[in-house]
Amino acid sequence: MGDNKLLALDNIDLSINEGDFVSIMGSSGSGKSTLMNIIGCLDVPSSGEYHFRDNNVSTLNSNKLAELRNKDIGFVFQNFNLLPRLNAQENVVLPLLYSGKNLKERNQLAIEALESVGLKDRVHHRPNQLSGGQQQRVSIARAIAGSPKLILADEPTGALDSKTGLEIMKILNDLNAKGITIVLVTHEDDIANYGSRIIKMKDGKILEDKKNVNN
Amino acid sequence: MSITDLIYLSQKSLRSNILRSILTSLGIIIGVSSVITMISIGSGARIEVEQQIERFGSNNLIVRSQSSSNRGVSMGANSVNTLTLKDMEALKEELPAIKAIAPRVSLSTQIVANGNNWLATVTGTTNDYFDLGNWKFENGRSFEEEELASGSRVAIIGKTVQKNLFDTDSPIDEVIRINKVPFTVIGLLDAKGGTAWADLDDTVIVPLKTAKQRLVAKKFPGDQIRSMTINVRSSDLLFKTEKDVDTVMRKLHKISANGNPDFVIRNYAQFLNARQESSRVMSILLATVAGISLIVGGIGIMNIMLVTVTERTKEIGVCMSVGAKKRDILLQFLIESLMISLIGGLIGIALGLGVIFGVSEYFKWKMSLDYMSIVLSFVFSSSIGIIFGFYPARKAANLNPIDALRYE
Repeated sequence: MGDNKLLALDNIDLSINEGDFVSIMGSSGSGKSTLMNIIGCLDVPSSGEYHFRDNNVSTLNSNKLAELRNKDIGFVFQNFNLLPRLNAQENVVLPLLYSGKNLKERNQLAIEALESVGLKDRVHHRPNQLSGGQQQRVSIARAIAGSPKLILADEPTGALDSKTGLEIMKILNDLNAKGITIVLVTHEDDIANYGSRIIKMKDGKILEDKKNVNN
Repeated sequence: MSITDLIYLSQKSLRSNILRSILTSLGIIIGVSSVITMISIGSGARIEVEQQIERFGSNNLIVRSQSSSNRGVSMGANSVNTLTLKDMEALKEELPAIKAIAPRVSLSTQIVANGNNWLATVTGTTNDYFDLGNWKFENGRSFEEEELASGSRVAIIGKTVQKNLFDTDSPIDEVIRINKVPFTVIGLLDAKGGTAWADLDDTVIVPLKTAKQRLVAKKFPGDQIRSMTINVRSSDLLFKTEKDVDTVMRKLHKISANGNPDFVIRNYAQFLNARQESSRVMSILLATVAGISLIVGGIGIMNIMLVTVTERTKEIGVCMSVGAKKRDILLQFLIESLMISLIGGLIGIALGLGVIFGVSEYFKWKMSLDYMSIVLSFVFSSSIGIIFGFYPARKAANLNPIDALRYE
């Protein structure tokens, strides 16, 4: 005890290229969530630097971080995290509201995003009227509506059955094929295998970082 | 994020919990309706006092005869007229503060004209009566000196009497019969309207001497009169003159300073003061209720907003993750509390209006709706929404996005 600090991340040196599909694996407490928060600009490292495109994220204030998340990053969560009161379209519109797009444009973008995940006929359904897989697709539509450069998926299949999970992974794969960088956090090997690069973490350190030969 | 978007999101979340939103605004509802009622009572009382002065004249004292109880035996109301014209002359002479005195004898009797019958109060008096009582002439004239001195059978009638006896608007020179005695109408008074207890326009006025000779000779023998209206030179002198009149009258009637007087002095200003005082007390009471319920209402809003922020922590995290800035979150919660308090304000205004109309309808209380009070209520309720909503909103805005996202 005494002076010992608990380091969630320790000596991480990592660069991710645009267009990559990176899977991060590790047990709970391995630091993968913290790493993900930093990559997603939800948090800044207590020491060290993180560069996202042209920004030194470590130096940005909360407003700038919010702007970065809004414009360049999309999140897909394990539990979808949709707002229950809003219908599918309104959920997808949410990030566009914060970027200040006008009504017509954002509705257009939301519909397009929902179409691209195959939910054209569900735009006015609320989350509780949708299945888990559909909800996750809405949240992917929300993530891509603002044309981000990076999508962070935190256990995106964790709450879904394997068949639906595969559908979601296929959508992410397609997005990656269109040039969007994907960072996926998972503890399932077959899900991690969708990535072109697999990073294994333990105790805040990178244990292994290698190209995925199976992909 | 535009204000319309914020309002849209806020009403979504308020509507998802509509009962809670309305219960939350209950304090504001009560507060605002009290504010409106309070202001209306206040300005209603002020207007009523102004109207009363308009009707009855200001700075007047009325001295009336009163049956004195003699050794515990009441002589009965109206049985004795203890006031005389001599009292009147003496008061005029002794008290320079008195500007004018109008004597009065009266009876209630049948008036006949044009084949119509009407029961009215007939007053015998002098021309001072019109000035002191703020009477204006719609038509015709007041008495001439000669008419007063000789006891001519001329009469001036009020609007109600005219309406009930004549088809025409100008009854001048028509003849009316009071107790079978014919009188010529020489004047028509402007309408004053009714009070809660009497129709002031239901009146016929004749010269004092005529009345004493032909109408009330038995009731008011000699120089007895029913009452006199004393006009004091200025309002500052009113209360002092009231005391002086009492002293002089006691001397004239040989009544000791602590004996039972056979007269009573009515100071109308006293009544007005009492009226104003009671509405002031009512206003203070309502202001207290309003103040307390607005504060309690504000705390209620703060309380519910804190609960809401906690309940929606995860949602706040989601909004932050998709790019909501602190300012966006702050504004959204501020607008929600503002909307709660404004809705409360609106309901409160409606309730207040209901109370005002109900009270003025059933209790015949004069209430005046002051439109400023509605503006004031809006200002009150919105500032309460903002003041008490600020702390919860700031708490929401300062949440750490990661902790908020992780919150279950």
